[in-house]
Amino acid sequence: MDPIIRVESLHKSFRDLHVLRGVSIEVNRSEVVSFIGRSGSGKSTLLRCINRLEEPTSGEIWIDGVNIHEPYIDINKVRAEIGMVFQSFNLFPHMTAIDNIMLAPVCVRKISRQEAKERGLSLLEKVGLAEKANEYPEKLSGGQRQRVAIARALAMQPRIMFFDEPTSALDPEMVGEVLDVMAQMASEGMTMLIVSHEMGFIREAADRVLFLDEGKILEEGTPDDIFNRPQFPVTRDFLGKVL
Amino acid sequence: MATSYSSDALQRFSRKHIPLLYYIRKPIFLLISLALIIVYACFLPNPQETSAFFFYLNLSVLIAVLVCWCVIILADWEKPEYVKMLVAFFLLSMLALLFYRFSGADWARLIHFFFNFPIMKGSWHVLFRGLSTTVILSICSFFSCVFVGLLIAIVRSFKYHSVNLLITMYVDIFRSIPVIVLMVVLFFVFPFLGMYLNSYLTTFTALTLSYGAYTAETFRAGLETVSSGQVEAARSLGLSRWQTLRKITIPQAVPIVIPVLTGNMIAMMKDTAIASIVATPELLKSARELYTAKTSPTPLICAAIIFLAVLLPLVRLVNHMERRVNKSGPHY
Repeated sequence: MDPIIRVESLHKSFRDLHVLRGVSIEVNRSEVVSFIGRSGSGKSTLLRCINRLEEPTSGEIWIDGVNIHEPYIDINKVRAEIGMVFQSFNLFPHMTAIDNIMLAPVCVRKISRQEAKERGLSLLEKVGLAEKANEYPEKLSGGQRQRVAIARALAMQPRIMFFDEPTSALDPEMVGEVLDVMAQMASEGMTMLIVSHEMGFIREAADRVLFLDEGKILEEGTPDDIFNRPQFPVTRDFLGKVL
Repeated sequence: MATSYSSDALQRFSRKHIPLLYYIRKPIFLLISLALIIVYACFLPNPQETSAFFFYLNLSVLIAVLVCWCVIILADWEKPEYVKMLVAFFLLSMLALLFYRFSGADWARLIHFFFNFPIMKGSWHVLFRGLSTTVILSICSFFSCVFVGLLIAIVRSFKYHSVNLLITMYVDIFRSIPVIVLMVVLFFVFPFLGMYLNSYLTTFTALTLSYGAYTAETFRAGLETVSSGQVEAARSLGLSRWQTLRKITIPQAVPIVIPVLTGNMIAMMKDTAIASIVATPELLKSARELYTAKTSPTPLICAAIIFLAVLLPLVRLVNHMERRVNKSGPHY
């Protein structure tokens, strides 16, 4: 089967800072891939390059067999199929939870408001926030905001989900509720790319773990391989600090 | 042991002396000193009978003591707010009283020149016609400013470097040219280039160009308050640039920008007065014509009163809106 995401020798520099130094990965359908590594190792930048929130300096990216840098590709249509969840939630503060979720289906998918609302409510129910539909984000707790953000991404019925440190900005007691939703998505067969420091969750949910160091993939394998039999001293050192 | 420990602490924490200010701030002291100040004011020497030096020395001492007395109360945060209000009012009225009594001004002549009621009565209808021109001009210029400013800010937010260079040049140049110079150039120089603008169009163009630059800056600041995370979230959902701008960035920027825009509007309305130099028949121009016709500066005072009556409520409105945006702290 074709991989749903294929990245080949991706480089990204911000002025003098060479963040990604030739990353190549393949992700299969329904696979849950997790990226770990020290801060500044390029994990987030990698995700952001794949849906072109950052323009890569060089390298090629195929999604579903299509090179997304070809001129005839409408990047907005590509992004519509890739849900993204951010560390800082980035809910739209001037809209209620349900409006946050309805916005993109109505604007981009052009479905009717009625249908979008029904779908949005069922998604809110799925993340356990049906009663918060008409609240503004400032009235929600961190964990609730992040769950709304996940529902917002799911409303576009994406085939791939990116999670960029989804629990790093949360109070410890709220991490669980967000991870539960993510675990449920993984069990439903969503393709997921996760940048996270929640090693316990990664060990449970991920099919494959990639360890990034200084813009390169240093080591990759099953969670069991990486966590129990790390090959490189850098990996061992990192895991020793976070586990 | 416990008592000796606490008395030791008492010694360590004590001041050497209770500060003088503690006694000065007591109400009884303040009341007595106020009475003394009033007595002193009543027995000020008559300027006709003593030397000028002695009189002004006494007057300065009185004013200095009076101000000190008020400052002691105003700077004491334990005194209730209404007392401070009364004290401030008392200070201002005392100073006004002293000025009225000793300044040597000719009040009757002053009123005859500047507040001549028969002339005032005859001026109002002309001035109001001027006011309507002022209002119409400033409203038209305001809307075109907002249009120009928003357009520029949006184009600028796309970060095309060469275009932004041009925009920066426009904004910087027109923010550093005084409006009056711009009007003169448009009105007296442009005819040589074959472009004839009448006085209304000159005012409109000059205000739009000049305030358009300010408005562009205002909108840019407003758009920049919306975090880049908001834009990224919208783009990652598949919204286009234009949709992101319309649905996410502008709705969040507008509430922040509106008070500043209203402030610009007020400044612009005042600047329409400059249009009188290119013979636009607005409020100030009408007042100046009346001034020459009736050889009395009263119409100018009337114009000032009209400006105040129109703009003061707007200024208060801006304060109110800013308070609603900030939602913090008292505003006066």
